[in-house]
Amino acid sequence: MSKSEFLSLHQALKRSFQNLEQNQKLWNGMLAECSPLMVSLGNLAEQLHALQNVQLERTPLKGFPDLRERLRFKLLQAVDTVMEKLYEKMAALQAVRDAVSNQAAAVFQLYTQHADALDMATCLQRSATCPSVADMLEWLQDAERHYQWELLKRKALLQMLKPGDLAYLQTSPKRWESLSNRGRDDIITETLCRVALFRESQ
Amino acid sequence: MEDISLKVLPLDPGDIGTQRCRMGPMLMAYLGLKIGSPVLITTPGFDCLCTAWPRSDLAEGFLQFDSKCATADFTSLSYRNFSVSRSQMTALTCPKLKNVIIKTVLKTMGFKNSLSPNLIHDLVKDILKGTYVSEKHIVNVSHLETPIQLVVIECLDLSSSGGGLITAKTSISIQEIQTHNRYKSQQFRMSSISLGGMEDVFASLKEILNLPLLYPRTLQKLGLSHPKNVLLIGPPGVGKTMLVRSVVQEVGASLVTISGPVILGSRPGESEENLRGVFLQAKEASSEGPCVLFIDEIDSLCPKRASSSNAPENRIVAQLLTLMDGIGRDHHFVVIGATNQPDALDPALRRAGRFDREVIIGVPTLHQRKSILELLSSKMTLSSNVDLVALAEMTTGFVGADLSTLCREAALHAILRGSQGADSYSIDMQHFLEALKKVQPSCLRSSIGLTEFKPLSWDQIGGLEDVKLKMKQSIEWPMKFPEAFVRLGLSRPRGILLYGPPGCAKTTLVKAAASSTHCAFLSVSGADLFSPFVGDSEKILAQLFRQARACAPSILFLDEIDTLFGSREDSRGHSVQARVLSVLLNEMDGVGLKAAERRGSERQLCLPEGSIDLCPEQQMDYHEVCNKDVIIVAASNRPDVLDTALLRPGRLDKIIFVPPPDLEARRAILQICTEKMPLEADMSLEELAQQTHLFSGADLENLCKEAALMTLQYEGMDAPKIKHEYFQRSFQNMKPSLNAQQLDHYKHLFTS
Repeated sequence: MSKSEFLSLHQALKRSFQNLEQNQKLWNGMLAECSPLMVSLGNLAEQLHALQNVQLERTPLKGFPDLRERLRFKLLQAVDTVMEKLYEKMAALQAVRDAVSNQAAAVFQLYTQHADALDMATCLQRSATCPSVADMLEWLQDAERHYQWELLKRKALLQMLKPGDLAYLQTSPKRWESLSNRGRDDIITETLCRVALFRESQ
Repeated sequence: MEDISLKVLPLDPGDIGTQRCRMGPMLMAYLGLKIGSPVLITTPGFDCLCTAWPRSDLAEGFLQFDSKCATADFTSLSYRNFSVSRSQMTALTCPKLKNVIIKTVLKTMGFKNSLSPNLIHDLVKDILKGTYVSEKHIVNVSHLETPIQLVVIECLDLSSSGGGLITAKTSISIQEIQTHNRYKSQQFRMSSISLGGMEDVFASLKEILNLPLLYPRTLQKLGLSHPKNVLLIGPPGVGKTMLVRSVVQEVGASLVTISGPVILGSRPGESEENLRGVFLQAKEASSEGPCVLFIDEIDSLCPKRASSSNAPENRIVAQLLTLMDGIGRDHHFVVIGATNQPDALDPALRRAGRFDREVIIGVPTLHQRKSILELLSSKMTLSSNVDLVALAEMTTGFVGADLSTLCREAALHAILRGSQGADSYSIDMQHFLEALKKVQPSCLRSSIGLTEFKPLSWDQIGGLEDVKLKMKQSIEWPMKFPEAFVRLGLSRPRGILLYGPPGCAKTTLVKAAASSTHCAFLSVSGADLFSPFVGDSEKILAQLFRQARACAPSILFLDEIDTLFGSREDSRGHSVQARVLSVLLNEMDGVGLKAAERRGSERQLCLPEGSIDLCPEQQMDYHEVCNKDVIIVAASNRPDVLDTALLRPGRLDKIIFVPPPDLEARRAILQICTEKMPLEADMSLEELAQQTHLFSGADLENLCKEAALMTLQYEGMDAPKIKHEYFQRSFQNMKPSLNAQQLDHYKHLFTS
């Protein structure tokens, strides 16, 4: 058993958990910015729907030529703008995910490098202040997977949005909400709490 | 270290979709596994590729694994008594992959239409990142809320059989995009249902499905529109549904089924809507490959419109007709209907363009029964004395469902009555024979003429050797020695008329004939036949013949035929009897059979030159060709009132006189009657037989009974033996039921 390798692994883990905390803040901030965009997307869909159903000839607006087409054009333009913003956010989220994933990959790489020197018993050693290496690796992988899945679900949702499919567009804010409130968001917070003492230890 | 088996537990919810395999740290060390390194679990049913992780409680002896990447798509794994031994787990080295070829399975058709391949590619790439995969494994990603259900790994760039890790740099090429339904139907193809004795029908159905798939251009060039729809006709239990299923699996088509109760709705118009929905579903499925829309029991969904005044029902029929017409250009979409009452269908359905082809599946013939039995018993352990040919001969009129019941009963017998404690059960002929007593052919279950009687051997009838020989010639021989009949160009008689004075064992003779051959025995009396409704009696008789033909060779026994049919000459006007008689004449020697009664393919016999020894296979051929008719056996004591048309050759062509017993016969009858009676030594049956001139068999039996009763009357209940005296006394009390004049009449009936 070599102490130095064990210590370097601990250092790497500590660093990655610190990064994870920062990334979590970034991620949550991004998500919070996405929600109003989704709501406005839903609103636009509602307006498009209303435009489809309204009979403009019976309203005082009948004097305006090509009103329906113009309005529709404006609304679609607005949808495009919102979508553009959403994709920007998605790119930022993806960056966060990549950062976490790179961190995790690096730690795993370090572990596999020293795997022969570290026997199973050392990896499973745990105390009140310091979780075992195996546990921490697991949590790191869990966090990585969590971000990946969350991103995947949101991406799939956005990709299936089409201006033609108004009903789907209208329900999209609700779908978006249902993606996040699953209680699985706590997993990162929980992990960070678990390793809090370890991170503070010197 | 010895090979310890690990108990498999259900996965923790947190680990679902992580591809983790939780095990004890000792085991990990033993297998040389590091944390997160890939491990292959090999069980008899499937392989599963996982990453090794220590259990959080560090307990040994348990195994939990996520089946995200496995060779089979198992969602309902039973964890009960499921264990994996240590030797079934191996550590793998998984390098990073450069290329991988996959097949994507989407959840529904809608996703397939709306998503572009590029989007799917991006999604799959994200999903597979960081997953360990191996060739032919299936990655189940249904827990993610994406349109993708499964990813099938078709090909890796590695030459080794091991797995690999998919990273962000791996290039993924999608070979095929399918829907989940289609994927499932292709999976079933591997486990095909086997069918016995239906090769020709199977081939023709397969051709219909495969033709447009294999030669689309040829068909286009010839301007052919291939036959789209098939109607299967056959009695229940013959395997119509099974046939469709097996063809569908063989071809790899997807199957959409319609059943009456699902379609019918309570609101007006709902049923039609459902019907349209099913057709739409089939249309969607057909865009991916061949598809079969199967309407089982189509007669319930589509009855004759004229006969029912039920408006909703008529609307469904009309909807079905228009839908079938509107199938149009969808080439891979075949409608198959199945029914056992083709006459009840709406005639508009049975025209070309709707149901182009009608395939009739009859009750299996001898050959078909043998192949069905062979197939059914192929998975059973049979002992060497089981003769399937003999079984096939005995099971006349059995359909596929009956035969499988028979095999099941036989197997049950073997288990229940078999040697207790023995591990290996083998089913022998005795078990089959026992089962045969319980299982009746289903085509006879609802039959009116089915009768049960105690089997009787020829020896139990005294005398009448001449008559017995004639009966054997005309009933037993054609069944037992068909090859001899064919060799001599002999055809068996169509019908036999037994006539003679009452009480002379006509009915008993028929019973003996029926029990000496293993064929179905139907007996009709006036009570079965006549009904107060006009036309009903004729229908019953025609149905009786149809059933008898379905389980040919069979014997149809018409007792007291003179009262049933009589003669047309002396009846005034159109009596029921005359109408029933005309049906009988037609059924016995009419133009032909109804088309729906066809059985098997027509076989022609070529006679082998000179050779007389035949292998059992050939003998079956003969049997099948010779014995496909019903033998009519009629009995009457007033043959003079029968219609002359009945008695001509070709109908009741063998007319046998059953004479009253002569001296020899009377002795034999008395011998049989007194077999169970203790007789005094002074008893002389010879003397009694001489005295009882003009006594019929029934009289003689009665005489013996009377004598025994008198013994009890005069000597008390504990009389040990019957004395000759009592026979004499009872003889004096009785008169013969026949007289000489009567006999004369019978004798000159057909000789003058």
